[in-house]
Amino acid sequence: MMQGAPSAKVAAAVRRIFGPGAEASPLTVAADTVLRVARGDSLLGFAAVRNVIGKDQPITFLVAVDPADRLKDVDVLVYREPYGGEVVYEAWRRQFRGKSIADSLRVGREIRVISGATISVHAVTLGVKRALADLTHWHQTGAIR
Amino acid sequence: MSRVVECLALASVVLAVAGPADAQQANETRESTTIGGYGEVHYTNPRGPNTPAEVNLRRFVVYLAHTFNDRVTFRSELEIEDAKVEPPGAGGEVALEQAFLDYRFSDRFTLRTGLVLIPVGIINETHEPPTFNSVDRPAFDHDVIPTTWREIGVGILGRLPVADGWNYRLYLVNGLRADGFSDAEGIREGRQEGREASFANPSLTGRIEWARPAGGLRVGGSFWYGGTTGGDTLLGRGSVDAPIAVLSADARYQRGPLALRAVVATVSVADADTINALYGSAVGSRIAGGYLEGAYEFVSHLSAFVRHERYDTQADVPAGTTRDRGFARRVTTLGLTFKPTWNTAFKGDYTVLRTAAGTGQGETLRLGVGYQF
Repeated sequence: MMQGAPSAKVAAAVRRIFGPGAEASPLTVAADTVLRVARGDSLLGFAAVRNVIGKDQPITFLVAVDPADRLKDVDVLVYREPYGGEVVYEAWRRQFRGKSIADSLRVGREIRVISGATISVHAVTLGVKRALADLTHWHQTGAIR
Repeated sequence: MSRVVECLALASVVLAVAGPADAQQANETRESTTIGGYGEVHYTNPRGPNTPAEVNLRRFVVYLAHTFNDRVTFRSELEIEDAKVEPPGAGGEVALEQAFLDYRFSDRFTLRTGLVLIPVGIINETHEPPTFNSVDRPAFDHDVIPTTWREIGVGILGRLPVADGWNYRLYLVNGLRADGFSDAEGIREGRQEGREASFANPSLTGRIEWARPAGGLRVGGSFWYGGTTGGDTLLGRGSVDAPIAVLSADARYQRGPLALRAVVATVSVADADTINALYGSAVGSRIAGGYLEGAYEFVSHLSAFVRHERYDTQADVPAGTTRDRGFARRVTTLGLTFKPTWNTAFKGDYTVLRTAAGTGQGETLRLGVGYQF
């Protein structure tokens, strides 16, 4: 099963997060794909598009970090489950902004629970943590630059 | 949920950024099957002499879903209650709790057909053991809202475009049968649950809910309306004869270590007098009640909770039926829930049942474990 988001959606998310003129180009690292985001010659950050499984459907999300490895924003690009769709709302997603791998991201503590969307909340939070850890690791080891 | 077929996101990213020509391909879903489940084991010890404790594998449920493409998904739950079924009919139950096909047109609109969960209250739709406190489900969710309530029908659900956080579901399903109604359990045994169900009384049920977009609060309102003749012409020939109406409201609030829940419901049985005369029952003309629950996670993963339920399956009785105040129940449950992970739970609680008549009272200690994946 191979699922992603339409390229227009990814490009729009990148522009929303990094501002107008931000362009994403794919880099391959450790059999994964990372988007390098730049405006002209200046590096704005990196992003990864990934899936996590909700109850039975993949949730496609994008995690963006700045050059200092702080999480800039999370975007839920495609949500396919019939319930639990509240994770797409900016009011919930914005809790991740500014976090780095030094911060803890625990559901019910730093990350608010959404009653009736428990599975999606846990799935997206875990997915974001993993993506943030990967992007930070690759950036700090020079695999992406 | 564990995956039979793992998802691979990485290749799609390349397609996603490659250009519009590949975008459609990237968004295409390959068929996949998902397996999951939930279950619970209970230890029940009523207080008093000659009431030995009992242990029971209360529920073992297999969740099976199949995604055919981006739009079409099948979902089902097959349940074994009380560990085994042994003829002739001594306990146990094997049943389908849900089995339906979803056709998703958009976020706002999914068409659903099959055996569906009635969207009334909290527990009926969300009943996996780690999602609620107490070993057993609340008594209210047995005698007033008859969980697990499922019927066959067709409906629509999705996001309401009014503002962020609004959702709806609206189903047309087979009706309840009045010949199963009772004084103690209300409409419970009037459910048909998908087995050669009479479609004499197509009924409408639905729910509107709002979840605060930032999380922490969800409120909902639900209804059911329909006839209950089940084809018995002595009760009526029309499809909405001997109608019942269910109205319910619920709220779930969570902030830090604090979690609160509240549910109320009222069931109006319009022709309770005729039903009681015809079937020799003593169904209330109104069944009503609700509960309040508060829980506090005082140590990481460990919560203490208290729940107070008040309900009466004979809140009103029709002329000719004697009201038994033993059905006006007050149930208080105190307990602990330990959740090492969000989807596993170890539970213990003590329940005190009191009635307005002072009859049928009791106190029970329960211990249990539950899981979902």
